[in-house]
Amino acid sequence: MQSANSLLKKIVRSSVLPFAAQHGMKKDFFPLSRTLSSSLCLKQDKSCSPSEKLDLDEWKKVMKSGVQEEVGEVVSEQKELSSSAGAREILEMWRLAGRLVPENITEEQLKAFTECPSKSAQKKYLKFLYLKELYKKNDKRKMDKKRERRLETQEQAAKTDETKRNSFICLWSNSMDRAYNWRVAQSMVFGQPLVFDMSYEKDMSVREVANTVRQLVLSEGCNRRAVDPFHIHFCNLKTDSLYQKEFLKHYREAWGRLLVTATEQCYTEVFPKDKLIYLTADSPRVMKRFDHNKIYIVGSMVDKSIKTGVSLARAKRLGLETAALPLEKYLLWNTGAKNLTLDQMMQILLTLKDTGDWKKALEFVPKRKYCGFVSKPVHELKKTLNLMNTLKLGKKQEEIRKQFAKNYSKKLIQK
Amino acid sequence: LQPPEKPLQDVEWNRLRESFQSPEIFEEVMFNSMIRCNSPLDVAKSLLTHVAKRNGDIAYSLLVKYVALCVQQGQTSEIQDVYDIMKTRFKILESGAYNLFIRGLSNSDQWRRALTLLEEVKKIMVPSRTNYESCIKAASSHKEMKLAFELYHEMLAKDLVPTLDILHTLFDFSRGMKDAELQKELFGVLLYLRENQIYPHKTFMRSIKLWFESIPGGNWKGHLTHITESGRCPVCNHQLEDSNLTEEEYNNLRERIIRDVIHGTDTFRKTSPQEFEAFQTFVENRLPFDIVVDGLNVSHIKPRKMQCENLLDAVNCLAKGNVRLLVLGRKHMLMNSSNWKREIMKEMQNKADFFFAENISEDDAFLLYATLQSGKHCKFVTRDFLRDHKACLSDSLTRQLFRKWQRGHQMSKKTFLSVFLQQPAFQYDCVVQTTGDTWHIPYKDNFEEKYSYQVPRKWLCIQQK
Repeated sequence: MQSANSLLKKIVRSSVLPFAAQHGMKKDFFPLSRTLSSSLCLKQDKSCSPSEKLDLDEWKKVMKSGVQEEVGEVVSEQKELSSSAGAREILEMWRLAGRLVPENITEEQLKAFTECPSKSAQKKYLKFLYLKELYKKNDKRKMDKKRERRLETQEQAAKTDETKRNSFICLWSNSMDRAYNWRVAQSMVFGQPLVFDMSYEKDMSVREVANTVRQLVLSEGCNRRAVDPFHIHFCNLKTDSLYQKEFLKHYREAWGRLLVTATEQCYTEVFPKDKLIYLTADSPRVMKRFDHNKIYIVGSMVDKSIKTGVSLARAKRLGLETAALPLEKYLLWNTGAKNLTLDQMMQILLTLKDTGDWKKALEFVPKRKYCGFVSKPVHELKKTLNLMNTLKLGKKQEEIRKQFAKNYSKKLIQK
Repeated sequence: LQPPEKPLQDVEWNRLRESFQSPEIFEEVMFNSMIRCNSPLDVAKSLLTHVAKRNGDIAYSLLVKYVALCVQQGQTSEIQDVYDIMKTRFKILESGAYNLFIRGLSNSDQWRRALTLLEEVKKIMVPSRTNYESCIKAASSHKEMKLAFELYHEMLAKDLVPTLDILHTLFDFSRGMKDAELQKELFGVLLYLRENQIYPHKTFMRSIKLWFESIPGGNWKGHLTHITESGRCPVCNHQLEDSNLTEEEYNNLRERIIRDVIHGTDTFRKTSPQEFEAFQTFVENRLPFDIVVDGLNVSHIKPRKMQCENLLDAVNCLAKGNVRLLVLGRKHMLMNSSNWKREIMKEMQNKADFFFAENISEDDAFLLYATLQSGKHCKFVTRDFLRDHKACLSDSLTRQLFRKWQRGHQMSKKTFLSVFLQQPAFQYDCVVQTTGDTWHIPYKDNFEEKYSYQVPRKWLCIQQK
């Protein structure tokens, strides 16, 4: 392509005159414009380089000449543009225009793209794909570098050729896994159950379900590595549901060997009702301490569009006890919603189970969401926070903050 | 990065490029700053020539940026040239380029080409409303009103919301034309304003007024005015439409509130079926009420006072004159506490009916239900704007009904706080309206900031002599 272009360029330069004449375009008439521009140059500006001939429209000729041969095939192709091919073309043009569009796109993704309900949805989806591609590429690059470095060190090691002696047995991940599995297996017999309620599929979009399962996989991993794991129950998990499909995507054949209980039954059928506690951020009741005799339920739901009260409604319907984490009591909350990801919940519950120490457990709440732990009564802390802000920001800000605090407390009372 | 003032030679471009920190994106950055500084076209051309010589090709994004520069400076012939070039070079163009071409060409004497471009866009996607705006403006400024209206209807059919500018242009350029068909179309536009509760701004209103007055033989005369509280126009002494919903609208709204707001996807989210049933029988047995009060909301009106005293004040005030009151609250109000004294609660319960919901239930939903069930005369008292409940309604038509009903039946904050006036702010409906020989059009000032719940107070009254 490149060589062909440069060849064409040469042709253009050598034979512009007949070419332009043939197309009958007056303003592309090369010698005319050359004399024009050069004379202008002489008259106006002597610093303009002596080699003159600044033909401002030369690029047009290059562009026009570059395509002459392609035109034929373009016409023939245009007739049979199916919708997906058309979408592909648009994407290609958007990429050329510098929008955030992935380089490669599969048929499946293309279908999802054409099914997007609005222009902004399309844009968002494309950006998502673009970023995904970018991360993948970066990861691959890093991996390659790592491999190179490893090979290098191996070579060096081979050169020095030192026999290693070590009195400890080398514990490979394989044997670690076996140890972990042993513990989880024990917990499946004697351990405290922890229920994930898998009945929120219709409240979520496809992407939210995918995110949920990802978080569940992470939580399962945390649990496996814990000193005293929970016995995880996936309740209400219907076969051939979207959850199940996503699980299979993550675990492949390991899904069958996974040391968890997955059931289509509801938790109310598996466990006695009075032992169940549904954990939800909307609950009016705040958890005081971790109870080892209760069975906690966590809703497997990622809620990007803030649907309040969905899990509380579920608990209400079944007449279960509910509880929320005492986030307000222990943390000076800053921003963000009080609902946490499933793996964070898992970490917190595991820590609580082991130590019963709220401070340690709430370390797993993302740092951006809170300013610090509450050591004094909350109103005192707020006072110092306000004082600091006045010193930092001046008086006006302080008033705004006061107003906000007032409204905020009012809201709390009303609730 | 400052673009040069004169066209440069290859050598000079090369030098500039080398001195730039990341040469790969030099052209992009340079073009961006050219657009920002509105550089002469020749400079841009010389850069393009330089790129073409070096690579034998020019990237699509650079061409688009060049078009943007041309459009900015209104260089029509150049725009056309670039269009031809891009058309032969690329199979299709993307939306950004089409936007620019349409905008550029519609402002020139070649505006008909913009229409063909619009057709091209339609083949690959839905054109944006600014595309239509350019074309409609071009058509109407060349007095092709028929074409302009065709485009206008086309975009409405595609569910695009026309900009106020489009509607404005339609009135501006139809001035003085005697054409019954056209007149009908413009009345249609006014009805569009009515249906979507759009309020024109001052300049737009002027243009409507001028158009009316310019209709040959129409004898229309426009006046700017304010409408009194009673809803009578001081100019023509005409009574505006009242804010009541029709029977059908009212029933429709009531059903939708029950379905979407109270039940929604899951009745348990706001209440529970048992509780709602209990409430329903409670309301049925005591119908109809005249005023329904959101007890908790009202009890926070004066933060210094005890909450139950606030509520007592309100109840005392509203209970004058033999009205049937319903106060909604939550069960925790019955617990004797520092804010809720049992004696005062007892006293109030003699004057009004009370319903106490569960502490975790939503009392607003009950408020809406009880008010709607009581009939059209019933009002409700709360400072809440009820936005979240409006958002639960699934289609925009019902949402507008809700807003209209709310305007007529919610005792507004101001009247409530001062003297508990027992009348809502608006007895008349604040939309564009007509009786055939009069038109009343509410409008707002050009830069007036208006919240969505506010309605304009200024009106244009047009009457036929």
